[in-house]
Amino acid sequence: MRMRKALLVLVAILAVGMLLAVEEITFWHTYSTNSGEYNLLTAKIIPEFEKAHPDIKVKETQVNYNDMRQRLIVGTAAGVLGDVIRMDIIWVPQFAEIEMLVPVDIVFAEDFAKVKDGFLPGPLSTCEWKGHYYGLPLDTNTQVLLWNRKLFEEVGLSEGPKTMDEFIKYAKLLTKDKNGDGQNDQWGYADGGLGPWNTIPWIYSFGGHILDSTNQKAEGFVNSEGSIRALQTVKDLFESGFVADTIIGGGGIGTFEGYAENIYSMILAGPWAWPIIRGQYPDAEINAVVFPAGDGGSRSVVGGENIVITETSEHKAASWEFVKYMTSHEVQKAFVEVSQMPVLKSLVEDQVIIEHPYFHVFMQQLTTAVARSPHPGWNQINDIMDQAWQDVIVADYGVKESLDYAVELIERVLAEYR
Amino acid sequence: MIFQGCTDLTRETRRKWAGLLFVLPGMLAYLVWTIYPIFNGFYMSLFKWNLNPRIPNEFIGLSNYVKLFQDPQFYVALSNTIKYAVITVPFQLVLGLLVAVLLNRGKKGQTLFRLLYYLPVITSWVVVSVLFQYLFATRGGMINFLLKDVLHLIKTDIKWLAQTSTAMIPIYTLGIWKGIGWTMLIFLAGLQSIPKQLYEAARIDGAGGWKLFAKITMPLLRPTFVFQLVMLTIGGFNVFLSVLIMTGGGPRNSTQVLNTYMFKEAFEYFHFGYGAAIAVVFFIMVFTISQLQRRFLKSDPY
Repeated sequence: MRMRKALLVLVAILAVGMLLAVEEITFWHTYSTNSGEYNLLTAKIIPEFEKAHPDIKVKETQVNYNDMRQRLIVGTAAGVLGDVIRMDIIWVPQFAEIEMLVPVDIVFAEDFAKVKDGFLPGPLSTCEWKGHYYGLPLDTNTQVLLWNRKLFEEVGLSEGPKTMDEFIKYAKLLTKDKNGDGQNDQWGYADGGLGPWNTIPWIYSFGGHILDSTNQKAEGFVNSEGSIRALQTVKDLFESGFVADTIIGGGGIGTFEGYAENIYSMILAGPWAWPIIRGQYPDAEINAVVFPAGDGGSRSVVGGENIVITETSEHKAASWEFVKYMTSHEVQKAFVEVSQMPVLKSLVEDQVIIEHPYFHVFMQQLTTAVARSPHPGWNQINDIMDQAWQDVIVADYGVKESLDYAVELIERVLAEYR
Repeated sequence: MIFQGCTDLTRETRRKWAGLLFVLPGMLAYLVWTIYPIFNGFYMSLFKWNLNPRIPNEFIGLSNYVKLFQDPQFYVALSNTIKYAVITVPFQLVLGLLVAVLLNRGKKGQTLFRLLYYLPVITSWVVVSVLFQYLFATRGGMINFLLKDVLHLIKTDIKWLAQTSTAMIPIYTLGIWKGIGWTMLIFLAGLQSIPKQLYEAARIDGAGGWKLFAKITMPLLRPTFVFQLVMLTIGGFNVFLSVLIMTGGGPRNSTQVLNTYMFKEAFEYFHFGYGAAIAVVFFIMVFTISQLQRRFLKSDPY
């Protein structure tokens, strides 16, 4: 009897011990469940990590991109968040500011110093706020210019524009009123909005800026000469009718659809355009060039996700192991196969990128792409810039006047976080 | 005897307790999800509220309110919200009543039409907002197609959602279209509760169709009307999803309403205290208006 009791206790202790030895970390991400990335993550990447770290178990939780922000907000207020989160780069400073993210350059200083220099500088800069790094880059993307070969050939052109002058010339040639009702039904250029995601390529390619390099100053940057010329150019193009109404939210045919249907000759698009367009138009031919160069060169906007550890996590060390693994050379390379763009310098010239059907132009664009200023007030800055551009293009306000006003408002936002 | 009295008392108390127990779940839900958030919202509005519960909130008194009343965007949102209620409520009432009266007369297919008119009410705001965005698209939108190519009323396409002067129109239209079914149903219930004898008696006295409507239907529908007015006004002030999806408050903030503005301040900018202040002002306003409506319109003429 006594023997049996002792045995039971022993078994119980062992069982508890084993449970304690295996740490479970939760990983919140926004990979859609029918994507190649998700399959790779669940079938290969996580199992291999668990095999290499038998003491860590990773539980992945998929959240729709549109729900993720709400979920993070509610989770923060309730103190219940995943340990590791794949988060849109523009949210990181905002959650860092409210002390929800682990500053990895402090907590894991030694490891961080080792991996830091391996990352592309653009994506890495999006993890930084007030001199500390609140995560590592996980994936990146940017926007390039797609041009429609059929429409180009109709007007005797055979290649996408390389310079801004060419772009303007082409946009004019490619805008047509085909049924003669006095209204255009084919446009030179189309885009889906006037926010910085859409306008940074214009602003920076014209040599303009939004904030200074320290993200602390708007005066002389938002209203710099290049910024003014960028806005003036888009306004002129729009007023001449070369730019479709979608840019001011007129609704109607989306840019991808219109591009595939030979209505929009040139559009701005990220790498996700390929699966989306091909999904609906399997035979569509997609041609891409880097954004046309102006006085500031060919510049575009950095998008993507960072991988962060939450302050509420009780498994920070185990989480860091997973973060390091997700940003390692082999995992980053494996994700290229399912069309996730890597963040490591070591992969830029890798065969896997060169052989990829369309990553090359994006990697080329990324070498000069600009990150939206990593600042917790970015959402406000974003809306102020959007408003300034709308003021000019929708409502006929003066260019300089609108940008000067934007400076005043943005300076107020910057002051709020100093 | 003593026993008898005792059981009587117990029965009385027991009944009270039973009643209380029946009310309790609803009462608790009301306290937890309605009353508590209202008070908590007011409390939050006095702070520079931090989302992270581990960071202490900074008490700033009425600063959020002072800022709010100097904020031009707040007034734009306020005026748009009021305009939305003032425009959509009467249209919903009049059109809903019209449909209800027509349906009440026709005997054939009443169920089918009732269902058809009610359908917009139960469809999701998200779906119909996207649908209306397409209907009102500048190029290829159904509305412009009808106005230009079918009816030849306009020469060039109207940029419904892309210019400040017209951007609210699709939003009003959606609100009215989606609301008619509900007002119709309530009016129909009101109409069917009017005793038939009244009409018969009036007919014998020689009253015609319009007189019947003006002298019997309208006065007897008054309670229904007041109920609807209050409910629709509250609903009108709560306009949110259609704006968020169709215009996102643009172009140039011209369609921003209180709810979208509050949402943006709180959840996009993390100004939770300021968002709470908007919510408090909003609550006081809607509460006052609905109380006034009830007070001035409640008196029953009969």
